Parts: sequence; structure tokens; C-alpha cells
Amino acid sequence: MQYLIQLLISGLAIGAIYGLIAMAFAVIYKSTGLVNFAQGEMTMIVAYVAWTISTTISGNIFVVAFGAIVAAVLLGLVIERVVMRPMLGEPVFSTVMVTIGLAVILRSSINFIWDAYPHALDLGVGRDVVRVGSIGVRTGQIAVITTLLLLLVGIWAFFRYSKFGVAMRAVAADDRTALLMGISAPRVHGFAWAASSAIAGIAGVFFALSYDLSPVMFQLGLKAFPATILGGLDAVLGSGLGGLLIGITENLAGGYVGSGMKEVAGFLMIIVVLMIRPFGIFGERDIERV
Amino acid sequence: MRTGDFKETYGELVALTDSPPVWLWSAVLLLALILAPYILNSYALSFMIMILITVVGALGLNILTGYTGLISLGHVGFLVTGAYAYAIAVSKYGLPPVAGFVAAGVVPAVASLIVGTPSLRLKGLYLAITTLAFSFIINTLILEARWLTNGARGIAVQRPILFGVSFDSDAAFTYLCLGFALAALLATLNIRRSRVGRAFVAIRDNDTAARVMGINLHAYKLIAFATSAFVTGLAGALYGIYLSFVSVEGFPFLLSIEALAILIVGGLGSALGAVLGTVLIVLLPEVTRLLFNLFSAQMDAMFTTGAQELKSMLYGLVIILFLRFQPRGLVGAWHDIRRFWVHWPLRY
Repeated sequence: MQYLIQLLISGLAIGAIYGLIAMAFAVIYKSTGLVNFAQGEMTMIVAYVAWTISTTISGNIFVVAFGAIVAAVLLGLVIERVVMRPMLGEPVFSTVMVTIGLAVILRSSINFIWDAYPHALDLGVGRDVVRVGSIGVRTGQIAVITTLLLLLVGIWAFFRYSKFGVAMRAVAADDRTALLMGISAPRVHGFAWAASSAIAGIAGVFFALSYDLSPVMFQLGLKAFPATILGGLDAVLGSGLGGLLIGITENLAGGYVGSGMKEVAGFLMIIVVLMIRPFGIFGERDIERV
Repeated sequence: MRTGDFKETYGELVALTDSPPVWLWSAVLLLALILAPYILNSYALSFMIMILITVVGALGLNILTGYTGLISLGHVGFLVTGAYAYAIAVSKYGLPPVAGFVAAGVVPAVASLIVGTPSLRLKGLYLAITTLAFSFIINTLILEARWLTNGARGIAVQRPILFGVSFDSDAAFTYLCLGFALAALLATLNIRRSRVGRAFVAIRDNDTAARVMGINLHAYKLIAFATSAFVTGLAGALYGIYLSFVSVEGFPFLLSIEALAILIVGGLGSALGAVLGTVLIVLLPEVTRLLFNLFSAQMDAMFTTGAQELKSMLYGLVIILFLRFQPRGLVGAWHDIRRFWVHWPLRY
């Protein structure tokens, strides 16, 4: 029983990281209609920037967090402006392939800017264990789950009440009509990329806090795919919850079946979900039968 | 100067080419390729072998992504299945290499029927993600099924002896690869101009319209998956033989991206494009290395330390630049040049 609870808790914690990245996927999909295959790489780069800040400027957690978020927003804006905006109006296949190309470039740039060895992002927090009865929980795990829940509420409120959030939904629903209503689609896209990059960056920093930084961190993006498919590509909140579900499933499969199963549990789940509900649990149904 | 083309029979419409010079130059090229192994040194020969093997794989993906319009991000899965099918049949069970090659085609084709089933319901991005998932699942299956595949240790493979001819030397192996590349090229060109190929293209262009015209979408999508996997599996077997060792690490996920890069650079949906794209992508790292070498020796050092990273960076850059500035690929550029040449000084 204790084993089960322990698995569930670590599943929730890693699931929260997947959930954050899945939300980042969904934010971009919702406003621009494309899947950003470079999401995992952006996560990794922000985490590396955070590590550089912590080793060169200051190890203070607030400085690192602020620096990482600013870096993430800049990264998102630059990518949108330089790489994605010229592709506006091109077929989805082309734009998605551009993000794949971008992913490959970002992935290998890690080895040029930093190096190929693993590093620990040590800010002196996140690794202490809090005991609840006989179950140990790391503070980093509590923090990441809390962050996910806070962001879920925040993003829900943003899309529901703020003017810009409504504008983003309008562009997602019908960009041409949104343009006629005086909404600047490029600005919305830029904002979406910045927001998505920031959310993914937060996930990256949390991952680096509890585990380690390494050049294979981009695989987080692949791991978060199932979450966003499960929740629905266009459902930001659903993707967040999907992450938690995937994290738990993965950990249970790893704990009770085997480590090989842990690697593919998420992917097996995507295939099942896509066969039954291709639009995800919370996604909007888009029926087209041939 | 020709003033117009008049096709009077269906046979003329679907002929491979109506121009004698094309046949002539193809024959010259073939002759050059046959003579090449005698002239080239072993370093150049290794690139020729890589190009020929990659052409087979790129043509395989072209059937699925280029002709039928189904994007696959997991083609490396078929490549690795083909390589393992050959290695298991020949090295493990001692079957003749011919049987190994048959297995290398048939096993991925059967696997593709499973992978292809979701494509009957999914389109575009969703299908791409499913194929991506399958390629990871296949890798895990191979690593887990130790009794069959030796797990992470991999299987050693010998160069084959086919019909009493040994393909042990690099030159002889080049001929084997050339044979497979030519067969794959002719096969894809002929599929394209057959009833099946026209059905594929109809599905790509507009699947609803294709369905209305009586094309059985389910059957043809599965046929596309199976043919594509068959050809790709053969490429995988050749690559495994060339590496002389088959393991999961020998077939990284980057190969799927490389294959898509080849199709985009060459021009999607064209066999000629697949060939041109392969030549460019395989030679790209080498050519860049030579170019940088001219500038400074320091750059050269960077290439030796970060060769793999630089290679993948180039792929990424080439994908983005081609999609941005020449979306029709090298074939598109070639058509523009040809049109300019034929019609000059008129615009069109």
C-alpha cells in the first residue's frame, strides 16, 4: 500500500511536469493551429539558462526563477518572429516541419553552448523530504504540483475574463473574422509563443531541480505528447490534467510491470486514446467522416 | 524547339518519359555508376554506398508521405524492423541471404498493417504523432524480446553471398546497393503511373473526392503503408549489412527526420526529388566540412569534435530554409531552370 502511494505521489510530480509542457503545447495549438515539435527543446534550453544563471550570477531562487522566465519569454518571442512568422499562411505540414527542423537545431546547439555532461541545478531547495506519516514527499514535488494547479486556475481565468485571452480564443476559433474585428493575429501568435515558452521553461526548471540537467532532457517533450493528446490538443486545462494522468500511469506501469513498460506506457495510451476519442478527453469534437 | 506535346493514347500519357535525351542521359548516368566502383577510392565509395542505401529508404517514405500524403515520423521503426528481420533470419537461424531480404521486406510490411490501422481514422498531425509513438514502441519491443534479438547487445551481420557471388568487398557491395536502388526507383516510378499510384495521389489531393470516385480508402491507405514499409525494410537490411552490426542504437530517431528532410529538400511526391534530396543531404555534412576547411583549420577541429551535432544542425537548417524559400524542393528548382532554358528569351 505504501509502495502504491509512493508511486502515485512521484507519478503526480512527474505528471505535473508533463502537464505543464502539455499546456505549453496546447497554448500554441489553440492560437496558431500547429503542434510545436520543438517544445521539449525549448524546455531544455530554459533549464540550461537557469543553470547558467545559478552558477554565474546568483544562486538565489528568486533571481533564477525571474531570469529563467525572462529568458523563456525572449526565446519564444524570437522564435516566433524569426522562424515562425514568415511561415504564416503556409500549409500546416510545412509549418510543423519547420518546428521539427527548429527542434533539431536547438537540440544540437546545447552541445555547442554548454556541454554534453549532466549537471545538477542546486538552489538549496526542492530536495528536502517532508514526512507525512510513513510517506516521504520532496518539497520540489509539492511545489511543482502546486504550480501546475495555480497555473491551471490562472490560465482558466485568463482565457475566461481577460480581454487578451478572449482575443486569443477568437483567433483560434476563426482567425479571419478575428482580424476583421481588429485583433492583430501576429501579436496573438507572439504572445502565445512567449507564454508557451514560459510555461515549458517553468517545467524545465522544476525538472532540473528534482532530477538533473542533461542534453537528453528534450525527451520530456516527447513524453508530454501523450498528455496533450489525452487531454485534447486544443484544451489547455485538459492537457494539464492529462499530464497528471500520464505521469501516474507511467509510474504504475514502471512500478508493477517493468522499466520498458514505463518508457512506452504513455505512447500506448496515445494510440488507444486516438483510436477511441481522437480529439482527446476534453478536446472539441471535430467530425469529418470519409 | 518543340512547340507542343500531343499525346494520343493512354500509353503515351503514362509513359515514364517521352523524351529520347532523358533515356540517353539516364543510360550515361547508369554507365557512370557502374564504372564508379572501379575509379573511386574507398572514402568516396563509402559515400556512394550511403547514397544508394538512403535512396532506397527515401523512396520508401516517398510512397507513403510523397504520394499518399500520410506523414510518418516513425519510419525509422520500419528501417530497424527490416534490419532485425534480416539479421535474425540470416545470422541467427542461418537462412540464405535471399530469404533474409524477403523477410526484411515482408516483416515490416506486416508490422505496417498494424501501424497503418490508426491511419484509417486519423489524419495529418495526429497520424504523425501515432507513427512517432509506434517507432518508440518498436524500439522497446526489440530491447525487451531478448530471446529473439539479443536485446541491447545487437546482432552481428556478415556481407552476404547471393547466387554464388560474394558481396564481401566494398565495390561488390556497391553493386548490390545499386541493384536495390535501381529496383526501388523503377518500382516507385511504375507504382506512380499505375492504377494504384493514381489512387494514392487522389487520396493525397482530396480524400473525400477520392472516396466519391470509388477509391477504397481503407484498402489503399494500407497498401501504401505496406509497400512503403517493404521498401524501407529493405533499406534497413542493407544499412544493417553495411554497418555489419544491427542494434537499436544504430538506428537513431534522427533518421526519421533525415528522411523527411530528404523528401522536403528534393521535392515532395517525386521519385527524382527523393534521389536528388538524398544526394544533397548525404553529401551536405561533407561538403560543409570541406567549405569550412578552406577558411580555417580551427573550424575543422570543431567538425571532428561535434560532427554529429553539426550534422543534425545542418539538417534542421536545410529543412527550414527549403520550406521557407524553395517549398517545391530541388525538383521545383530544376523545373524552373528547364523552363527558362527551353523558353528563353521568352518568359513562358
